[in-house]
Amino acid sequence: MFDFDATLPLMAVQFLLLMVVLNAIFFKPLTKAIDERGEYIRSNEVEAKERLAKSEALAQQYERELAESRKQYQAVIAAAQDDAQKISAQKIAEAQQEAQAQREQAQKEIDEQKQAAMHTLEQQVEALSRQILDKLLIGV
Amino acid sequence: MLSFLTDFNFVLANLEVGQHFYWQIGGLRVHGQVFIVTWFVMAILIVASLLATRNVQRIPSGIQNLMEYVLDFVRDLAKGQLGEKDYRPWVPFIGTLFLFIFVSNWSGALVPWKLIKLPEGELAAPTNDINTTVALALLVSIAYFYAGLSKKGLGYFAKYVQPTPVLLPIAVLEDFTKPLSLSFRLFGNILADELVVAVLVLLVPLFVPLPVMLLGLFTSAIQALVFATLAGAYIHEALEGHGEEHEEH
Repeated sequence: MFDFDATLPLMAVQFLLLMVVLNAIFFKPLTKAIDERGEYIRSNEVEAKERLAKSEALAQQYERELAESRKQYQAVIAAAQDDAQKISAQKIAEAQQEAQAQREQAQKEIDEQKQAAMHTLEQQVEALSRQILDKLLIGV
Repeated sequence: MLSFLTDFNFVLANLEVGQHFYWQIGGLRVHGQVFIVTWFVMAILIVASLLATRNVQRIPSGIQNLMEYVLDFVRDLAKGQLGEKDYRPWVPFIGTLFLFIFVSNWSGALVPWKLIKLPEGELAAPTNDINTTVALALLVSIAYFYAGLSKKGLGYFAKYVQPTPVLLPIAVLEDFTKPLSLSFRLFGNILADELVVAVLVLLVPLFVPLPVMLLGLFTSAIQALVFATLAGAYIHEALEGHGEEHEEH
């Protein structure tokens, strides 16, 4: 069982050969591949982080702009409502004035006609009363 | 221990511990079965690596994903032992140790080698041959000496007399116990696991050995992890040079 012979040095040589061969076809290329992948992932990560920061800044900017424009349109709406209210109040006032004026004019006309009517009535009363008087006085 | 095993060999003829399929290379005798399975293991690792890195993509899929997971695992293993600063140059060594031992152990447990008949001996995990484990353990020793010497030059040897020269014999002894414990732990665990499974299969052929086989898979994985972790720990110790970390078993 413990018979040492030339197997020992030959195995050592074979092992060293195997190590050299595996170093050339296994350890070196795969280590290189793993390291390159690590490098690639690292650089990609940095790039992605930069992009993330940039897009976050952009998003913030857009949000700010959005808030600003919201403020603006609210102001515009408020102004428009103000204007509309003013215009409608003015229109209402104008219409009321016109109506008032028309009513006054109508009143005046009515009064005039009334007076004219009264006048004619008075004349007629006078004429009638004179006729009545004439008729009565004829008898006298 | 040897007589105990040969006694068993008599009863359980299937257990061929200590028998080897010898090859003659020049004037050298080598264990052929170890080399055959080692080549199989190396082929698995190389083919998997080639498939994974044939077309490397940024978004991994399929086998590339699997091998990246494996690489991450051994990288974390090395990082955990050596620290963030100087683990990188040692990843191939520790990673290859882990992968080679792990695939060896599991190939011994999962591949039905018994179906392939050898003239002598049997195919099994390369790690159940003491030559393999000692070779790996000695490589770890060389590695941590190299780590210490290349980092601190001859000042590395100062750690033998720190904090006090009284501990010099123990420090020197450690350099021998480290490879010894590394190699015997791996060898013993894998061999014992295969023996237990073989004995149980002989006694109760069906179902009963299954839990032990599962346990064997678990042990095999743990042993690969332990070997690679300890290798990392020793190298770290040599790089740091405190000599205060103790071995774990």
